[in-house]
Amino acid sequence: MNTQKISQFVRSKAFLVIVGCFAILALVPLFITDNFFLTLLTLIIIFSIYASSWNLLASSGQGSLGHAVFLGIGGFASAMIGGSIATALAALSGLDRLPIGVASVTLQVLVMILGGLISAGLGLLIGLACVRLKAWYLAMVTFGFSVIVESVSSQLDFLTHGIDGFAPATLVPKGYPFYILVTASAFASILIMYLIMNKFRLGLAFRAIHGNEAEAKMIGINTAKYKLIAFVISTFFAGMAGSLYVYFIRYVDNSIFAPANSFAPLIMAVIGGLGTVIGPIIGAGILISVQQLLALPSVSEGLHGALGGFFPGIADVGPPLSLIIIGVILVLIVIFMPKGVISLYDKFNSSGEREKKKAPEEKKK
Amino acid sequence: MDISTIILTLVWGVAIGCVYILLATGLNIIFGVMKLVNFAHGQLLMIGAYLTWTLTVTFGLNAYLAIVFTMPIVAVLGIAVERLTFRRILGTDKLNEIFISLGLIYIFENVALLIWGDRSKQIISPFNNMILDLSSISITYDRVVAVVVVVLALVAFGLLIKKTKIGLAMQATSQKDTAAQLMGVNIEKIYMITFALGAALAACAGGLYGIIFSFNYQIGAMPTIIGFAIIILGGLGSIKGAIVGGLLYGIAEQLATLFLGGIWGSAVAFALLIVVLIVRPKGIFGVKGE
Repeated sequence: MNTQKISQFVRSKAFLVIVGCFAILALVPLFITDNFFLTLLTLIIIFSIYASSWNLLASSGQGSLGHAVFLGIGGFASAMIGGSIATALAALSGLDRLPIGVASVTLQVLVMILGGLISAGLGLLIGLACVRLKAWYLAMVTFGFSVIVESVSSQLDFLTHGIDGFAPATLVPKGYPFYILVTASAFASILIMYLIMNKFRLGLAFRAIHGNEAEAKMIGINTAKYKLIAFVISTFFAGMAGSLYVYFIRYVDNSIFAPANSFAPLIMAVIGGLGTVIGPIIGAGILISVQQLLALPSVSEGLHGALGGFFPGIADVGPPLSLIIIGVILVLIVIFMPKGVISLYDKFNSSGEREKKKAPEEKKK
Repeated sequence: MDISTIILTLVWGVAIGCVYILLATGLNIIFGVMKLVNFAHGQLLMIGAYLTWTLTVTFGLNAYLAIVFTMPIVAVLGIAVERLTFRRILGTDKLNEIFISLGLIYIFENVALLIWGDRSKQIISPFNNMILDLSSISITYDRVVAVVVVVLALVAFGLLIKKTKIGLAMQATSQKDTAAQLMGVNIEKIYMITFALGAALAACAGGLYGIIFSFNYQIGAMPTIIGFAIIILGGLGSIKGAIVGGLLYGIAEQLATLFLGGIWGSAVAFALLIVVLIVRPKGIFGVKGE
């Protein structure tokens, strides 16, 4: 991209939309100072990065069912490294613990990027094993890796402390300061992913591979190379999201590798709109909101009072109910709205001309 | 480590492998005939286990008889799933199958959690605590019976495929669906029957699983993945391959558990799977090329 293209992009509508969205997001908690709301927003934004990273991988035709590996590795690595550096720095300056300030905030950003890099390194290795695999073979192998990583991390407990879990050092105060860090990181990473997918030749190659790998190869695209690049970029951002997640919930243990965390970004991207930039963000919003709202004590108690009598075997009907809702939404979206919630916007916004361009999906009989 | 421990481990591996073979066979015919991957197949196993448990506890049925009643119930559930979801996305992007399956996994697991609660359950069979003693090794009757049941189910299944008209139509559809349609096969009906059969086999596997192990609403995921591992190990579409793959997997898992400890069982088995896939992306007995 040369300077002319950059200035063109900076003036484009898409850029303004992204900047506008994040500017609003950054300011909203100043007006609505509710703790639950802030937690909800922070989680949504962290998972937006995570879902977007999955979405980028899917845009190259690769569907991973083991992305929690990268979320977890990023989280574990940055929590461990951040903790030891903070202790070392504090010891150097003769203090008990690192005071919160410029140094700690810089450290937070550094370990976040480091977590991404370590995750991307692992992504490179796993990607090398996966570039030859297609569709559900790939899904299987990535899922297999998540099972293996979970076992290995509990075996290496002396190193990871993953069975009991541990809390990372506090580097950025919780609440609004941490929220700003999350929003800024999400803005940067989602913008970069948008550029890669839509403005760089890289994204073009991804789409060609997604469309038809054999044809892409025929017109001279080194498919293995580009698939690997997609894997590395995607795992970098997944690791970064993992770092933010761990520092936000202030706790990390082996359960971060659980299948639910591998499925979440997929569900978010599909609900919102696969292959779009805004889609995964909308999906993250819907999924996290449903989960968090039904887990609210007041809602949960109300539900349990109303329905608990029918289901005596369980202490709290809220969480399973929210997962059933998510499952139903996912199935309905895939069947009736294969382009995700975002396609509603296109429908309202477009004239008949754009509708005509979209060939209706052929149904095999 | 004495030799009888290793023999016992191998026998256990075979018994567990048999349950997985049953699940894998169901997955395999669904894939073979419909070219469809149902990642929620293990959840049908889980439902099968719960229904068998309910029948034994509520109606006091013999556990093995309960499995026979459970199979048609889960088959009907399978038909409903096929008609309402997978039928609608056949022929669209392959990833859609994975998405639908994930949605189904969330729905099945949490409905089961609501209905049956979060405590683990185990099906009490009439052979509970009875042990077959062969001088140096002893093995529970239930595992022997499980192997027998699986062999019977597979023989019945094989006869259905090879000797009946429906089986013939299924084979034709798996080779080329459009050609089969031109020959007068109602492929929508065949899809329905195939899915029902696969679901019934999963229910049978579920009943056996529930007799051998204790289970909860989350047990479905691992067997599905193991089922796929077996199919991949053995090569897609090949029932013999699935049997070899299942036995290999069961034995590998048990040996890894014996020598390295319980937590390594599935990790080693998956490592085996990944190595096989990287060396031969289409499985050991799979055909090369698309």
